[in-house]
Amino acid sequence: MQPVDGLGAGWTGHVLLAYHSEQERGAGVAAWVRRGLDAGARIVYIDAAGDRDVRRLPEVLADNGVDAVSALARRQLQLIDPGRSGASSAWQKAVVADGLRAGYPAVHVAGEVSASWKAMSAEAHDDAERTAEALCRTRPVSVLCQYPADTDAAVLTAACALHGAGTRGARLQTVPLSVGVALIGEVDTANQKVLRSVLAAACGSAREERSAVRVDMSELHFLDTAGARALLMATTAHRARGGVLRLHAARPNVGRLLRVLGVDRVHGVVLEDAA
Amino acid sequence: MKIDAIPHGSYTHDVLIHHTDDELVAATMSFVESGLNAGGHVLVHSFRERLALLRSAVGTHPRLEYALDEDLYVSPMSTLFGYERSVAQREGPGDFWVVGTVPFGPDVAGHAAWTRYESLVNEVLGGYPFHALCTYDTRALPADTVAAALATHAYVSDGVVRTGSPSYVDPGRFLADARAEAPHPPDTEPLAGTVLHGGNDLSRARRLLRRVGRVATALDPEAVDGFVVAVNEVLDNGLRHGRPPVELRVWAEPATLCCLVLDSGPGLANPLSGYRYPELGEPAGLWVARQFCEELVVRNRPGGAEVFLTTG
Repeated sequence: MQPVDGLGAGWTGHVLLAYHSEQERGAGVAAWVRRGLDAGARIVYIDAAGDRDVRRLPEVLADNGVDAVSALARRQLQLIDPGRSGASSAWQKAVVADGLRAGYPAVHVAGEVSASWKAMSAEAHDDAERTAEALCRTRPVSVLCQYPADTDAAVLTAACALHGAGTRGARLQTVPLSVGVALIGEVDTANQKVLRSVLAAACGSAREERSAVRVDMSELHFLDTAGARALLMATTAHRARGGVLRLHAARPNVGRLLRVLGVDRVHGVVLEDAA
Repeated sequence: MKIDAIPHGSYTHDVLIHHTDDELVAATMSFVESGLNAGGHVLVHSFRERLALLRSAVGTHPRLEYALDEDLYVSPMSTLFGYERSVAQREGPGDFWVVGTVPFGPDVAGHAAWTRYESLVNEVLGGYPFHALCTYDTRALPADTVAAALATHAYVSDGVVRTGSPSYVDPGRFLADARAEAPHPPDTEPLAGTVLHGGNDLSRARRLLRRVGRVATALDPEAVDGFVVAVNEVLDNGLRHGRPPVELRVWAEPATLCCLVLDSGPGLANPLSGYRYPELGEPAGLWVARQFCEELVVRNRPGGAEVFLTTG
């Protein structure tokens, strides 16, 4: 299976924005909003105060040169404080129904997770993510969930498994394949944790224990030693069960690094050339 | 003939200084014989004409192979790490024996790099069952290059008798010595530079270096990308094991790209770290960096470490 949208991977579907800085988050959110406005979609943005230095949407849009004043005035763009209900399943379904009833061709929903974690339990949060995934698969709906990249590894891995359109970030984008994942961009010491969660989620969804998880590396332009280590660490359990990690079509310097480090000689790892 | 006192399972790195072909052939034959008799695997390497001469004198054996310098000695660092990989990953019994002439070449300016290689062989291969006899031909080499060999080989061999070299110095001291001619950054203004405060700045630094490489040199893009791998590891090292801020300075010439990385940490305990084959799970950043560039020199200064890197 090819990456859904090639380089850039797109913002359609249930997307996880893994951000390392407020600036990176802002740039991603602004691009997502601009895309939604261009598509004429209803955009519902959960604009609650999150943790850290998460800014409100109007400031983010202004900083990134997105003019949303008229969209706000005509209520194409709605800023919501979800209050106690968070982004619950019932709330999401109501928002989607409302937008479609108003005649919009699609409904886009986004929020930063630390806001919803404050408002809901972990179980309710997972339930909300499952609902978002189902809505994105069955209705004209896109959802952008913004997670800090240093979110607890187990939580981030579970979240990766629930985002069918993959993860986005300024330097790395990942797109799930039927069994595996395509990597787009670059992985270094600063973002290798995201790669670990993405791979752990891909291994978790490999249905048969001895199946091969395929990592399409054809659009991965840079990998450092920390990233190469992440490829191994995240797949240790999968390979110990007899599963295989197929590293496909690495670019010359990525392939050279993997060979110098001996990754190609590690049990359960196969380096494949492009067909 | 048989060479005395090369213990099995040990490391030896001897120099033969010869004036005639007969001396070379005799010493090579006795080294090969010693290696084969000890159950080892033997490699004889040289340039084309000399290899033919040696092959006709030494003959063949299942554990004996011949190789051309042009295949084996492409550059000092690729040769060094090539030997390291082959001995570190070698399986089965028997020591590895190598006899040959390091291809210093006609350009005297390039001799220091191979002399540093000779010294580093002791650092990199010193822990393995490895034996080398490096042959220096006084008819072809300048006196300085031959004299330096006595500082980079602990033993002088004539093919039969081995004697300790009084002027031998360990690699750490030799590399810091003026004779090693370890490269220094240019004293011109850098073409570009940036300061990193954390891991999130690495991507920007790589982009800068890549752009300078593409625009200001005639290096092929793959060579630039490889150099970027090396510099990225050194920057990351400076951020994590040294201390931020870490400064990157870049110089470019048509055929080379070089960088200086300055950190604000306590300095590197061992300026030769990153040469030895890392154990599984050991940090490998500097070891990788050394393999993705041609020169990587670590120096400590007041206020931090500085690392100078160049492409080939």
